[in-house]
Amino acid sequence: MASLPAQAAFYYMAAASIASALLAVTRKNPVHSMLWVLALFLHVAGIFLLLGAEFLAAVQVIVYAGAILVFYLFVLMLLDLPGEQARPRFAAHWPLAAAGGLGIVAIIWLAQFATHDSTRNGIAPAALPSATESPLLGSLAEVGRALFGPFALPFEMASLVLLAAIVGAVVLARRRVET
Amino acid sequence: MIVPVGVVLALSAVLFGIGVFGFLARRNLILMLISVEVMLNAVNLSLVGFSHHLADPRGQVLALFVIAVAAAEAGVGLGLVIALYRNRPGARVADLTQLKW
Repeated sequence: MASLPAQAAFYYMAAASIASALLAVTRKNPVHSMLWVLALFLHVAGIFLLLGAEFLAAVQVIVYAGAILVFYLFVLMLLDLPGEQARPRFAAHWPLAAAGGLGIVAIIWLAQFATHDSTRNGIAPAALPSATESPLLGSLAEVGRALFGPFALPFEMASLVLLAAIVGAVVLARRRVET
Repeated sequence: MIVPVGVVLALSAVLFGIGVFGFLARRNLILMLISVEVMLNAVNLSLVGFSHHLADPRGQVLALFVIAVAAAEAGVGLGLVIALYRNRPGARVADLTQLKW
């Protein structure tokens, strides 16, 4: 029922995002790590596009890859990069950290298999076949209606959170004046 | 449905695990924060997968809120890194033992 090119694109993006995430957390040079995270974000945006979330894919590219990552890179420039590269990149307890990561993956997979319902293609949809009824799903109009309808209050709260974060960042990063 | 929702969730779990590993293992404060971003992205991926599977835009709205919170987290976290860097050069968590009992 799904087209083969779309499936191939999905599996390519899945493999590429796993590979770039692995490279991002293991590269010695922090700037290289950032560039691999950029590759990860772009591939995840591609997956969003395949899953019908066009608006979210655009937001992912504009906000994540465009704003947040550039912000990280700016702050990275303040640090002592050559000195950072000379030091060991992992803490001494990194095997424990790897075990923790694998453990989390195992727990999530176990939870997924435990709730698997093969008769209904994985996790059972709450309200059944509505996929054909909403051709607008994923489009800007549908998300916008949800955002300004039932989610209007959380939407305003998000702006409040961002305002608090801006004020907090300015207060934290400001140079202290001698009192 | 391009792929079963389970595949999307499995991919999300793997990315989350990589983020956990990066957060726990890296010594550079900024790379720890970027590992948190990787984890948030993994969660967004599973939210979008559910949204696609259940044909419900609410998952995408939640993912948008996650992105907004990620932006706030990046701002405050990097503000803290700058404040720390002003007091002592370097961003290694091993050196930040002032509050250690």
